[in-house]
Amino acid sequence: MTTYTICVFTENTIGILNKITTILTRRRINIDSLTVSETERKGISRFTIVIHSESREVVEKLVRQIRKVIEVLAVFGYLNEDIAFNEIAMFKISTPIGAKPLDIETINKVYKAWVVYWHLTYVIIQKTGTEEEIFEFFDYIKPHEILEFVRSGRVAVSKSPQTLVDYLPEAEWEYYQ
Amino acid sequence: MEFNENQTETVQIAEPQVSVAKPELINGSHALIRSLIEEGVETIFGYPGGAIMPVYDAIYDYQDQVNHILVRHEQGAAHAAEGFARVTGRVGVCMVTSGPGATNLVTGIADAIIDSTPMVCIVGQVAAHLLGTDAFQETDVIGVTIPITKWNYQVTRADEIPEIIAKAFYIAKSGRPGPVLVDITKNAQQELMSKSFTYKKCEKLVSYHPRVSPKQDQVEAAAKLINEAKKPFLFFGHGVQIAGAEQELLRFIEKTDVPAASTLLGLSSVSVDHPNYVGWLGMHGNYGTNVLTNQCDLIIAVGMRFDDRVTGDLSRYAKQAKIVHIEIDPAEIDKIMKADAPVVGDAKKALEQLLPLVKENNHQEWRAEFKKFDAIEDEKITQPELAPTTEKIKMAEVIRTLSDKTKGEAVILADVGQHQMMTARYYQFKKPNSFITSGGLGTMGYALPAAFGVKVGVPDREVVAIIGDGCFQMTIQELGTIAQSGLPVKIIILNNNFLGMVRQWQQLFHQKRYSFVELQNPDFITIAKGFGIDGHTCAERENLHASLDKMLASDKPYLLEVLVEKEENVFPMVPTGACVADIRLE
Repeated sequence: MTTYTICVFTENTIGILNKITTILTRRRINIDSLTVSETERKGISRFTIVIHSESREVVEKLVRQIRKVIEVLAVFGYLNEDIAFNEIAMFKISTPIGAKPLDIETINKVYKAWVVYWHLTYVIIQKTGTEEEIFEFFDYIKPHEILEFVRSGRVAVSKSPQTLVDYLPEAEWEYYQ
Repeated sequence: MEFNENQTETVQIAEPQVSVAKPELINGSHALIRSLIEEGVETIFGYPGGAIMPVYDAIYDYQDQVNHILVRHEQGAAHAAEGFARVTGRVGVCMVTSGPGATNLVTGIADAIIDSTPMVCIVGQVAAHLLGTDAFQETDVIGVTIPITKWNYQVTRADEIPEIIAKAFYIAKSGRPGPVLVDITKNAQQELMSKSFTYKKCEKLVSYHPRVSPKQDQVEAAAKLINEAKKPFLFFGHGVQIAGAEQELLRFIEKTDVPAASTLLGLSSVSVDHPNYVGWLGMHGNYGTNVLTNQCDLIIAVGMRFDDRVTGDLSRYAKQAKIVHIEIDPAEIDKIMKADAPVVGDAKKALEQLLPLVKENNHQEWRAEFKKFDAIEDEKITQPELAPTTEKIKMAEVIRTLSDKTKGEAVILADVGQHQMMTARYYQFKKPNSFITSGGLGTMGYALPAAFGVKVGVPDREVVAIIGDGCFQMTIQELGTIAQSGLPVKIIILNNNFLGMVRQWQQLFHQKRYSFVELQNPDFITIAKGFGIDGHTCAERENLHASLDKMLASDKPYLLEVLVEKEENVFPMVPTGACVADIRLE
């Protein structure tokens, strides 16, 4: 199975998420992660959808089907090597009195993770990295009781020098401020 | 109230503007109807109800400009709009209320998207403040129709209406056509627009630009394969009719001398008399076209999408052939068959660009191979079907007799099933734009409502709907619409008291276990007469000619029921999962 990252640029209107996910659902393609936010241009949203597939052909067909949604401005399918990508994970770790203390130095220096909230009986640690790095840290921190764990899903930017406007020369989009 | 920017506020307040003409403000419903008129809409197929009543109130004022046809069920409105769109190439319009009105459209919308039919569905919706409250007749029709519309949109303010309608028509008819649904909340229909009504047709969108003219390098690559091919075989589909590319197609096949075969929805784009026309493709298509698909060295696919009913088992389909695929929808390229030379664009433009690049050629020898198969098919199937010795009439002879009597020039609708395949086989289409049927979705009950939509679109042409006894009962209530509108649609029921195609499959693949396929039918003629439509039954072969003559001579709607052989089968047949070359003749 290969990981593919699909970046979809759309007009920011109600219901687009539904229009896109229904294309995946119909073809029985499961979404590993999905993030949506507005881009540097006002009124343009960017979807980052991560899927696994055994077949590049399936992904290519999927990209073409997503492009058919009227509000979709552009769709790109990427392999991991084509993009810079990351996600954020948050861990709520139990720290009851008398338990083995957290090794904050290792957490900071080795795992590049940061405590963002302290409570008497737990802390919240934020870790940024690839899925792989996040799960390495997950394994490290697991002996401390994990009360909650959440990942943001992947955000990704293409390594290509081209920008969105190169693909959409006709559009005159205002910068988001 | 509008303020002039140059005037000071104090003046505005001090002087009530009695003498200054206020802009004429209209409500959303009037804006909607005026927008439709701006788009050239002359006929709306619809059914009123609570959430669309303000629009119906507005239509009342525009009856001299817009003709509204009151159907008997919303599905009928959708199919009628489809029939109109299919035969004219213009956008069909249907209008219904919220909730059940909208959900009753769903089959028609699904039919329209798979058969690339331009349609705009105007749907009433509960007032915006009630959305999401499970209000009376509230359905999330946007959610329901996302997978089956080319585009859909919910309007909640009157001001949006002109722009959204312009966008809806542009999207429905451009590129690969399809259905668009506009859901309009009741408050948007009722409230006044905040500015005076102006209408600007939509000509382009930032996010949607269908390619009409193909890239020249793609055309050149295609021309190279065409010029090199020894046994090229052209397939034409619905895209030819949609693009109005019939003349270009003729010029192309005449210059290159390639044999040309049609898909089900491509039928009538090339006359059956044309020497290069070799028949149609697929499950019940011709013998030679199917077998030789696996012997040609190049397929030139024009406006068709390699439907599974055309290809049969893909792993054994045309493996030896290269593929030139002319198609307006880029998502169709490589979807089923990998194209060696894809040409993304409108069929008319693509053929125009190809014509100067392809060489004049002579493929007489290759074309003659089709004749050998035709002779076998003729002897084993066609002749026995057309000159049967059975006591009962056979479907084929009804259709061929009709074909002869109408000189192959009528607009023929077929519903779905055996009679549809028989119509495709035995009606000899000689004029483009003459065959309307539900191809992709296979919607039983399509033909009757689509027929009056067609008749509205082409009132000067003879329109005959050929319908099975099962299909007829799915939308039988539309006889009421036909009677009320007085549209002289001719209806032939081929009655075998069976759901014939399912019965055929049960006979061939389920050891004749006839599971719920026999119908106890009503007296169709009495029913028609109850609706005020004249008709009669033909049970004997010797009455067939006179019966058809009587039907065709009528200047009113007419129903002819023909009692046909109960258990006849459609052949040739490529059973599901079989290879096209293994087509069965019996």
